[in-house]
Amino acid sequence: MKQHKSLKIFTTALVALSSAVILTACGNGGSSDKSSSDNSNLPKASYKISKSTPAWKSDKSKMTTLTWYVNADWWNKDFGKDEITKQIKKDLNVNIKFVTGDDTKLNTYFASGNMPDLVTIGDPNSKVARTAKDWAYPLQDLANKYDPYFYKVASKDTLNWYKIDGKSYGYPNYSNTAADYKSGKILPRDAFIIRKDVLDAIGDQDFTTPEGFVKGMAAIKEKFPKLTPFGFNDFSGGNSSLENVVQDMLGVPITTKDNKYYDRDLDSDYIKWLDAFRQVHAAGNITDDSFTDDADTFNEKVSSGKYATMMMGSDVNHGTNLQDFASKNPKSAYIAINGIQSTKGRKPTLSQAGISGWLINYVSNKTKHPAKAIQVFEYLLSDKGQMLTNFGQKGQMYTQDADGMVKWTKFAKNIQDNDTTAWQKKYRIGEFILFGHDRYKALNKDSYVKAVWQMQEWGAKYLKPQFQIENISPNAGTQEARALGAIQTNWRTTMVSLIRAKDKATFEATLKKYKQFQKDNSISAINKVRDSNIKANMKKLGMD
Amino acid sequence: MEKANKRSTGVRIKDWCRAWARQWQLQTMVLPGIIAMIIFNFIPIYGLSLAFRSYTVTSTMASAPWVGLENFKIIINDKYFWESVQNTIGISAIKLTIEFFLPIIIAIMIFELKWTPFKKVVQTITYLPHFLSWIILGGMLITWLSSNGMLNQLLNLIGIATKDNHILNANSYWGIASLSDVWKEAGWGTILYLATMSKIDPTYYEAAEMDGASKLRQIWSITIPEMSSIISLNLILSVSGLFNSNLDQTLVLMNSQNQPKAEVINSYVYRVGLTQGDFSYATAVGLGVSIISVVLLIITNTVTKKLNDNKSVL
Repeated sequence: MKQHKSLKIFTTALVALSSAVILTACGNGGSSDKSSSDNSNLPKASYKISKSTPAWKSDKSKMTTLTWYVNADWWNKDFGKDEITKQIKKDLNVNIKFVTGDDTKLNTYFASGNMPDLVTIGDPNSKVARTAKDWAYPLQDLANKYDPYFYKVASKDTLNWYKIDGKSYGYPNYSNTAADYKSGKILPRDAFIIRKDVLDAIGDQDFTTPEGFVKGMAAIKEKFPKLTPFGFNDFSGGNSSLENVVQDMLGVPITTKDNKYYDRDLDSDYIKWLDAFRQVHAAGNITDDSFTDDADTFNEKVSSGKYATMMMGSDVNHGTNLQDFASKNPKSAYIAINGIQSTKGRKPTLSQAGISGWLINYVSNKTKHPAKAIQVFEYLLSDKGQMLTNFGQKGQMYTQDADGMVKWTKFAKNIQDNDTTAWQKKYRIGEFILFGHDRYKALNKDSYVKAVWQMQEWGAKYLKPQFQIENISPNAGTQEARALGAIQTNWRTTMVSLIRAKDKATFEATLKKYKQFQKDNSISAINKVRDSNIKANMKKLGMD
Repeated sequence: MEKANKRSTGVRIKDWCRAWARQWQLQTMVLPGIIAMIIFNFIPIYGLSLAFRSYTVTSTMASAPWVGLENFKIIINDKYFWESVQNTIGISAIKLTIEFFLPIIIAIMIFELKWTPFKKVVQTITYLPHFLSWIILGGMLITWLSSNGMLNQLLNLIGIATKDNHILNANSYWGIASLSDVWKEAGWGTILYLATMSKIDPTYYEAAEMDGASKLRQIWSITIPEMSSIISLNLILSVSGLFNSNLDQTLVLMNSQNQPKAEVINSYVYRVGLTQGDFSYATAVGLGVSIISVVLLIITNTVTKKLNDNKSVL
């Protein structure tokens, strides 16, 4: 019997262990990383380097193949098939093998130690970005050794922003500097918009004050019972346009006067507007479906004009849908008007992509081709690369006026209008955006669909950078980050619950509960981290 | 081998070796399986050490610093974790109860159908939802449950005027989650039972009929006892799966309003581990859950053994 028992214990242990294993991540085969601060192992350049000529012109080495991992599943992996990447391949003598994936795949790369040559990630706040020092080459070292021309094409402010201990490791696309904001080439993307036919029919309504807003929505409901009076972005990618975007519309400050973290969610002006939205919802003028619709459903509703008015966050991303509706119903097209404004007389402070940009590109310190890698960076950042990726071949696709403005050729226009597949696949216009920047996009009015021009004009004077508060959350894995995660989860529920609250009393109670939750989850410790991060940011920006 | 237990250890080992040598051909056949298990099941156990370390994406498994039971201490005070445990048990318990009994009943009903074409149609229809992924089914459900969706239109038809978006209602989430899962899987669950039933000797039924047993009596005294071992196996498997909540379903159906009732352990681990990059903590949660699952498995095994004349499935 004893043996039978031990066999059973063994079986039980086996089952226990194997089921436990299922929940575990896989192991690491690679050796531990060597710190990259010592870059004496960078091989010498095989060509003469020069400050005034791009290195790719002097580098006569044979065709090099680089693996480029992009941490986004939607990225088009083709290389060398379309007109744009064909030209890149020819100029740089490089073949790029794109690999795409999500965080899980990225983690596997790190765990195995088998890194691709180039890595593009999307979150400057992630552990991956913050520990870039351990796995990426400093761009300065690469530029000094292989391609000093890089300094001519890279933005100094952006490089500064991405410095870790004195050296920059990543270079983002769409990184807007203070100078970009001033240049007028960066266009706003948020606006309160309304259907023109609705606006004409409802007469004089004031959407700028909370009271007027509630009344205006009721007026819309009366005249257009089939439309949903008020809509906003879907919640699948975050807190819709009812959080940051509304706060920007109200000009809610980003820091306190003494440059400390300011909780914009609890700003009294913003809370007043949330209460207005509550009243709109209670009157049936916000549909509950807006809280459950996914991105596709929202897009469909925009392109069919289901909403009479919208708090539109990122109109450029919804350009196709807005244009769709405008083309079919020119008389009802959406336009931006003054609405959702501060009750305290503050002007809107619309934001755009910040200095952190969007997708950040790195050169892995495991690459065997560091020279080629920095050449790719330099080429794509240069005027030549930017014009190519934004507009295609000069002459064939576009012409440039004396003032630098770009116009499509007839040939290009014809393809754009009649063969969108070829436009995207064969010519890949404006799609190779790993180093893209709005400054170039703005050279051509046609970069944006006509439907959003008026909206961009409406907000142009309200653009204001928010660089100080970029990436100020506590590091992942710390006690503060966990607490913040819990608070954000709670806020997500709270914000929608506030709008869906039955009456003012429930509204107040929900808000009070959230404030208590913040306190219970050590908000003061989190804010301390944020404060010190704001301070560090301001130092980088030269604002201290 | 059973008789060896009274003898000394040395003799026992000797006996064991002799027995092994006698059947060495058979024993070698087991080897590949054991090796595969060591590689794929035992070596990765090393990864569990993550739960006791502070691991980050970029550090290697060996270089992450040890933090002892730190991660487990945090679990104890984590409101969202305990909420997810509650939801997991709640939803699973409802699913388990219905999904355990319903397939047995459906299987018996299908088995008793005499007209084959109709039987086939019923089977196909009940299997069908199983083949749709939760991504598709979830999207359908959200539309059906929305304010102008199918459900509200049906309710309006029968006179209950409503414009509620049901998926936003946290209190109905457990019902929605478990019933939709039952609808998806109940038909598929009958396959095992039908296969077992087809093996029951038809002469039993003939004899019972001659003795004047009614249909229900036949089901109760022949069909169910014949299926008892497969039923208890299914029970053990599903009880040990009490903590294995449906990740796909949750990710599709969860929204900001039903989250307090919708978040399950799996989605919580996914959110913390992958989207917030907190691997060590997520592993600690996973390890805790596995241990509880194993305990549940052993308990059910013991219980079914008692119920089943001391014959255990494991």
